Amino acid sequence: MYAYIFRKILYNIPVYLGIILIMMAALRVNDPVAAYIGKNVTPESIALKRHSMGLDRPFLPIATESESQPFDPNVKPWFRVGSYVTTHVGSDGVKRTTRHAVGIYSPGNTQYFEFLWRIARLDFGTKDKPYNSWQYESENVGEKLRQAIPPTVKVTVPTLILTSSVAIFVGMLSAYFRGTWLDRTLMFFVVLGMSVSVVVFIVIGQTIGSGGLKELLGFEVFASSGYEPGIRNWITYCALPVIIGVVVGIGYDTRFYRAVMVEETSRDYITTAIAKGATKRKIMFVHMLKNAMIPVITRIMITIPFLVTGSIVMEYQFRIPGMGKLLIDALSNKDFPIIQTFSAVFALIFIVTNILTDVLYALVDPRVRLS
Amino acid sequence: MLTRLFKSRGVGKFLRNRLAVGALVIIGMYALVGGFVVLGDVFPGKAGISLKEVEEPIGPPINFPGFLERAKPEKRAEVCRFYIDEFKRALRSRDPDARRENLKQIRYAERIAAPLEPEALDTIRENAEAIYDELSESENLDTDPAMLPVIEKLEAECAKFFAPITGWNKVKHDLRWSLGTDRQGRSNFVRGIYSIKVALAVGLVVAFISVLIGTLLGASAAFLGGWIDHAVVWLYSTLSSMPELVLLAVIVYAFSGTMFDRASSPWLALIPVYAAMCMEFWIGPCRVIRGEVMKIKELEYVQAVKAVGFGRMYILIKHVVPNTAHLMFINFSLLLIAAIKYEVVLSFLGLGVKVGPSWGRMIQESTPEVINGFFWQIGWATVLMFVLVLAFNIVADALQDAFDPKHVG
Amino acid sequence: MTRPILNIEHLSTCFRTDRGTVTAVDDVSFDVFPGETVGIVGESGCGKTVTSKSIMRLLPPRNSFIKPESRIWFRTPSLRAEPSEPSRTDAPTDPSHAEKVPRIDLAHADERFLRGIRGKHIAMIFQEPMTSLNPVFKIGWQIEEALKYHTQLGASDRRARTIEMLRLVEIPNPEKRIDEYPHQLSGGMRQRVMIAIALCCEPSVLIADEPTTALDVTIQAQILQLMDNLKRRLGTAIVLITHNLGVVAQVCDRVLVMYAGRVIESAPVHELFHAPRHPYTQALLGSITKAGNKQHGKRMPTIDGIVPSLFDLPKGCRFQDRCKFKQEKCASLEPGLESAGDGRLVRCHYPLLAEHSSQLTLGATR
Repeated sequence: MYAYIFRKILYNIPVYLGIILIMMAALRVNDPVAAYIGKNVTPESIALKRHSMGLDRPFLPIATESESQPFDPNVKPWFRVGSYVTTHVGSDGVKRTTRHAVGIYSPGNTQYFEFLWRIARLDFGTKDKPYNSWQYESENVGEKLRQAIPPTVKVTVPTLILTSSVAIFVGMLSAYFRGTWLDRTLMFFVVLGMSVSVVVFIVIGQTIGSGGLKELLGFEVFASSGYEPGIRNWITYCALPVIIGVVVGIGYDTRFYRAVMVEETSRDYITTAIAKGATKRKIMFVHMLKNAMIPVITRIMITIPFLVTGSIVMEYQFRIPGMGKLLIDALSNKDFPIIQTFSAVFALIFIVTNILTDVLYALVDPRVRLS
Repeated sequence: MLTRLFKSRGVGKFLRNRLAVGALVIIGMYALVGGFVVLGDVFPGKAGISLKEVEEPIGPPINFPGFLERAKPEKRAEVCRFYIDEFKRALRSRDPDARRENLKQIRYAERIAAPLEPEALDTIRENAEAIYDELSESENLDTDPAMLPVIEKLEAECAKFFAPITGWNKVKHDLRWSLGTDRQGRSNFVRGIYSIKVALAVGLVVAFISVLIGTLLGASAAFLGGWIDHAVVWLYSTLSSMPELVLLAVIVYAFSGTMFDRASSPWLALIPVYAAMCMEFWIGPCRVIRGEVMKIKELEYVQAVKAVGFGRMYILIKHVVPNTAHLMFINFSLLLIAAIKYEVVLSFLGLGVKVGPSWGRMIQESTPEVINGFFWQIGWATVLMFVLVLAFNIVADALQDAFDPKHVG
Repeated sequence: MTRPILNIEHLSTCFRTDRGTVTAVDDVSFDVFPGETVGIVGESGCGKTVTSKSIMRLLPPRNSFIKPESRIWFRTPSLRAEPSEPSRTDAPTDPSHAEKVPRIDLAHADERFLRGIRGKHIAMIFQEPMTSLNPVFKIGWQIEEALKYHTQLGASDRRARTIEMLRLVEIPNPEKRIDEYPHQLSGGMRQRVMIAIALCCEPSVLIADEPTTALDVTIQAQILQLMDNLKRRLGTAIVLITHNLGVVAQVCDRVLVMYAGRVIESAPVHELFHAPRHPYTQALLGSITKAGNKQHGKRMPTIDGIVPSLFDLPKGCRFQDRCKFKQEKCASLEPGLESAGDGRLVRCHYPLLAEHSSQLTLGATR
């Protein structure tokens, strides 16, 4: 079992390295500094910004240094591989040539490994060694992250648990009463619900849940937006997003769980169980449920990205300062340090849940565990 | 390849599913509307719906529909006030040429200022304003029945501002007004219809490119094996280990500041959206088709063709890929739905469509309206999207039933 | 005189499909006496499995039903002790039926009553030992489950009984095996576990639906031997469903031959193999490859043509298209199941005479 977990972790390491590589490369397709401060600034201020984020260092151990954007003078290549010259016509119609030098650099000096080292230590800046947001210059990315995690957890975890349990229940109910009016009605509503966009549920749910309910009851149960820390404020600020999240999620999951259950009912071991004299309930809740746990766990794993997506939209609309909202805000502000860090952390959470899923898998299915 | 697919038994089974055929007809109608909208880009101002038409106000920014619900007296008065103010501003200048020029600027789609002398229009305005002043005597217009005839008089007076519209123009005008306006006075109806083009363009392009990439990579990975297979598997397991929206966000960021980001053409501005979605969506078909090709390449007939001595590429293209056609179709329909839905979410977050309307933007812009109880914009966008997605869902389900009945989920 | 423990009368089972209702088992009647082995043979799709599942009422009610005139009479002395009232009993009023053994009609019994019968009085083993066991439960648990439903045994007694059952079905090292999962066992071992599940409550009837088809030939013989031994030891009647005539010859007392949903011949095993009366039976026997027979240069005898579709049955005899002895009458009138002496029944207008068919000597007969 431990060997199995170890193997899973080992397998996921190159995947995570790949994610970070692809993500960092994508974020550097365009100059992040130019995207942030626009064109009308002095080259000096651009250079300063670049230096603050270490963008003036090579990205990978093999890198190209251009004349127009030289690397940090402290970073010297181990050796030069070669050089080439490009020409392009500037906006003023003047032809310019730029020299580029390709070199091999020490990995310790590269942005990629430096950032990986940050992730490995989970160090996104402290008071002494700041790693600051561009938009909010006095704020540490690490501090922002720490503040953003609780709101996100408060919305996503209850949503995941409630959605999965309700959907499994409804899916089993539907499979149990397969072909009856109950099944058809449930499935009808599920397909209808699936065809309405998530955002519509959120906008309408927000209006009805906060304003509508307030009008009906005379006092405010759910706030229409905002966030306050503390468990006592959970109902006011987080319950409504969770309810909407469950309503949105149930549609997709129920259909899947129903299909899984229907598939399980046609298995041979069910016939064996009936032939043994088992009751329908025993078959449903003992024989089938344990077998169905395998696809169910897989499904819950697949749900997590949807959940992240859903929570981003939810946080955005309800103004909950969670990771999703911060990421979206950073995107519109082109706040590069936050985008890079939060994306990496999202991916890390994702990989960890993947590993956890595989472990759960092994716990449920003896075939996986013992092979 | 297609003929082989269409001759298969699945097609008969699909066509026997009456619901699916009905859904297909609805999709066809959407496609026709979408095609009509595209004409606006090809022959602007002559046919179809152009971007300019969509983005221009057609009247006061007051959300009320032109049918079902008669606007409240308060609102009717507000509409009249809006036109009075418009003309007042145009006629402010003393210079007759400038006044004439200003009057020409007053244009609400089909409705243009009446072909009268500026002085005549000024008289109308003064009359209208006098009637409007009568209204101010009332405390609450909505509950005061005595004011109704006055409002009707005011409306009749304001109608004189504009040249009468007849015939086809009248129909167009009524359609434009049928679902009211948004907060900038733009027609909800037209914006919703225009968004069909956006949704279909995103859906079709993304689904097509994703299935194409997925098929190419998946089939060659499975068939050629070796390092190609390893590379493809690594690539998709890496990409799929990233939360979708984060990946999409990163790609949208990568495009920020480029020509696509600043493009004014709705077609160019969509390219980052396409790129972001394709990056994510090719994984599904790639996985499925890789699995299927793995299975097919072990089948006797492929082994037989191999034994005869045909080249690997020939076998792959001629004998293996055609047998995955049903999976391509199913994946295409599923991705189409996913792309349309994703476009809405992305646009809602301000990461998707930046130029011109889309259902996501409409829903996003309608948020303050919804709080005030105006559901026309969000309702229209939702209904249009709902019908299309439902139709595609039904078709995708039917395709799956007909061609791949073993599939779960 | 012993009386049949199971007598099936006019059993007809229908399936509702997209293309209409189809009768997969059509008016099948036969008796099973305590301690005997009845074989049901036929090609795939002839209705053998449906017959066996109908007896246990295992077919999904969503798309199948048993016709109302069908009767599956099940008779066992211990039934009187059953707490639940059977939905349809036939209390014998006839004085000749002196024994006060009630019989109940399984074809129309309700689910609750059937649950008391299944596993306790009638048990079943299936063709696919690979998939018939639940993959996520230990085999010990799966055997104990039946005991839990049908006996009052406590947990430790159940475990002891399970180990005893595993030993009985000749699984080595049962104390260890009891905690293993199905995927850790070979096919033959799994089938032994299935037999252990079926027999742990000492049922009076065991229905075995192709129990050896999915197994290796050497394992097949072992499993058959095991079933035979257990039958003798526990006095269980066995209904053995198979398409393998060799298996039938080895273990059965009586044989029913089915074709396209109908019983076409029924006879004691020796008589059937020695002198088949129906042309189909004869052809079926002729198509067995016989070990030791020099057949070089000769094609293996087969039956030409295919089984008619149940959707599109011919008028008259269902075997007519493939019959070598077809005559005019065969195409117009379907023959009834007529007695042919010696307790034999045959469904043919022109049954083969003993001298015609006895030319076939069979190495497989006992």
